[in-house]
Amino acid sequence: MKFSFPSALALALVLTTPLRAETLKIGVVAPQTGPGAAWGLALDAGARIAANQVNEKGGLKVAGKTYQVDVITYDDQYKASETVTAVNRLIHQDGVRFIIGPLGAASLLAAKPITERSQTLMLSNTYTVKALENTKYVFRVLPTSREFVPPFVAWLKQNRPALKRVALLAPNDETGWDSQAVQDEAYKANGFDVVAKELFERKQTDFRAILTKLLASNPDNIELDTTPPPIAGPIIRQARELGYKGQFTKFGGVNVSEIVDAAGKENAEGLLGYLGADPNSKEWEWLETQYAKIHKNRMGDFTFFFYDATKFLLEAIAKTGTVTDTTAVRDAIEKASPFDTLIGKSFWGGKKVYGIDHQLYTPSFLVEVKDGKGTVIQKLEPK
Amino acid sequence: MLVQTLVIAATSSAYMMLLALGFTLIFGLMRIVNFAHGEFVMLGAYAVYVLTVVCGLNYFVAIPVAGLFAGLCGVVAERLIFRPFLGDELGAMITSLALAIILQGAVMIIFTVDQLSVPRPISGVLHFGSIYLPNDQLFVAGSSFLVVIAFHFLVHHTRLGLALRAVAQDTEIARAYGMAPSVILPLAFGIGCILAGLAGALTVPLYAVNPFMGEAALLKAFIVVVLGGLGSLPGAMIAAVVLGTTDAVISVWFSATMATLVSFVLVVIILIVKPSGLWGRA
Repeated sequence: MKFSFPSALALALVLTTPLRAETLKIGVVAPQTGPGAAWGLALDAGARIAANQVNEKGGLKVAGKTYQVDVITYDDQYKASETVTAVNRLIHQDGVRFIIGPLGAASLLAAKPITERSQTLMLSNTYTVKALENTKYVFRVLPTSREFVPPFVAWLKQNRPALKRVALLAPNDETGWDSQAVQDEAYKANGFDVVAKELFERKQTDFRAILTKLLASNPDNIELDTTPPPIAGPIIRQARELGYKGQFTKFGGVNVSEIVDAAGKENAEGLLGYLGADPNSKEWEWLETQYAKIHKNRMGDFTFFFYDATKFLLEAIAKTGTVTDTTAVRDAIEKASPFDTLIGKSFWGGKKVYGIDHQLYTPSFLVEVKDGKGTVIQKLEPK
Repeated sequence: MLVQTLVIAATSSAYMMLLALGFTLIFGLMRIVNFAHGEFVMLGAYAVYVLTVVCGLNYFVAIPVAGLFAGLCGVVAERLIFRPFLGDELGAMITSLALAIILQGAVMIIFTVDQLSVPRPISGVLHFGSIYLPNDQLFVAGSSFLVVIAFHFLVHHTRLGLALRAVAQDTEIARAYGMAPSVILPLAFGIGCILAGLAGALTVPLYAVNPFMGEAALLKAFIVVVLGGLGSLPGAMIAAVVLGTTDAVISVWFSATMATLVSFVLVVIILIVKPSGLWGRA
């Protein structure tokens, strides 16, 4: 058998070229710079850890084809206008059908009409009730105040009966308005007297004026709600310096080390807060190791939710055998409930409150600050 | 509550003065609206973090070192970045915005986006009946006030101050009298940045450090300077007291949002009635 030179060359090329795997693009839209960057980096890392896990095992098998998962991240700087640009770019230029993010009410509400129209599946987080209104392709992959505040306040009533007068403090934006309304309702429903409700601007650094007003109402508990942890620390310290000796609760997300660093160990002592995951668990340790390979900053509990979200998205894509039919993938995600996550048994719900079962219900952790360290004192199962 | 509010107003005013003086000095002399001023505040804060937490230096020693570091960065920025834009206000303003973004990005790469804290060197509270005076805030207000007095002395009672004022009034005539604007201008930029760096260094144990802390500082400085009159040192000092007081009173009796709103309404009214600001040159 004789080979001509061109045919031999062609055969050699075919034999030496590795089989090119298909690529499945997953979009990430979140702040990578600016004040919301810590949350956005957590989201990005969660998606990448899940994607890396699949890629390291050879890729995602979908209907007989193997896909390498490629995470494309755009920085929206926590601004709705940037979110819209990023989402449009992902859908129209990158051909993405699945997006992890964005964060924040303004960003999600701005992006939603675009993703709903193009049937792009979006696994997002924001506390506003409007996030899941009139939507078919948005899942909220974190529990909000509506899910975890009522059981936390009920626990407080039962275990700290001396507390009666509560002052509420939250950021002055969609997130803060919504979460403060939930807190107000939960505290009143449990027989607490809500003596003050205050809102502050996120760029504020000096809280003495607002605290002077708040302390005049003589509370025995200050609920810090969705106040970002870097701001909660100075608030705690300034309140103590103004003579406040009562309890602090933060049933809107807590980062113990950030708060203790800024508040001072003695001022933060006894703080009770909500955490999405147990920082002393082996799951936290594993995820933290993976996180360190991607970003240099400290990992928070946010990463858990977006790791799990990306994981169940990829599982749903593999199960349905399509990388384009988002309706089929959405249905598969819905049907997978209940499911296991790194945090524990979780499920989709929320039809009664939001009109659709696209809200994640997952265990939550009550943490108490003792001697500058956060200790989980109760794991509360979702209801 | 009224006395406590006035105490808050007094301490806030002193800090606002410190923030605004550097900003207005740079504009007064060089006609540069330095939007990177907040980032020099941030550099002062990070310098204290590195000097105290990483190198183990005493906080009180670290404060002047951090101020000088920010000043040195200012001199370098003036020579390398702003010098070509002398006389081009728009170009310099856009360049300062770019510098702010570059400095934020550089700090993010080096220190990440994490909030960093410096151990508090001063703690405790002074009580006078129902009035609470946190010692660390008293220290910041007192130090700010001392720096402002020292700065005032420098500008009005030294040969350097005289040269600064002469260059600000008319660069060409000052040059004719033997002054060298090529030396005075970077020096003035450096002094402005020292003031910013000191503001960051003094407040870092109170508020902690992050790459975006300069934005809030710039906003405060900007409102004070516009109200007082761009380039006017006495105007900046008066405006700091006016804004510090209105901010504290309105925050206590109404809300922080209302206080911010009133600050801007005040700026708009002053600019309509007196476009050069309270004390500015027409």
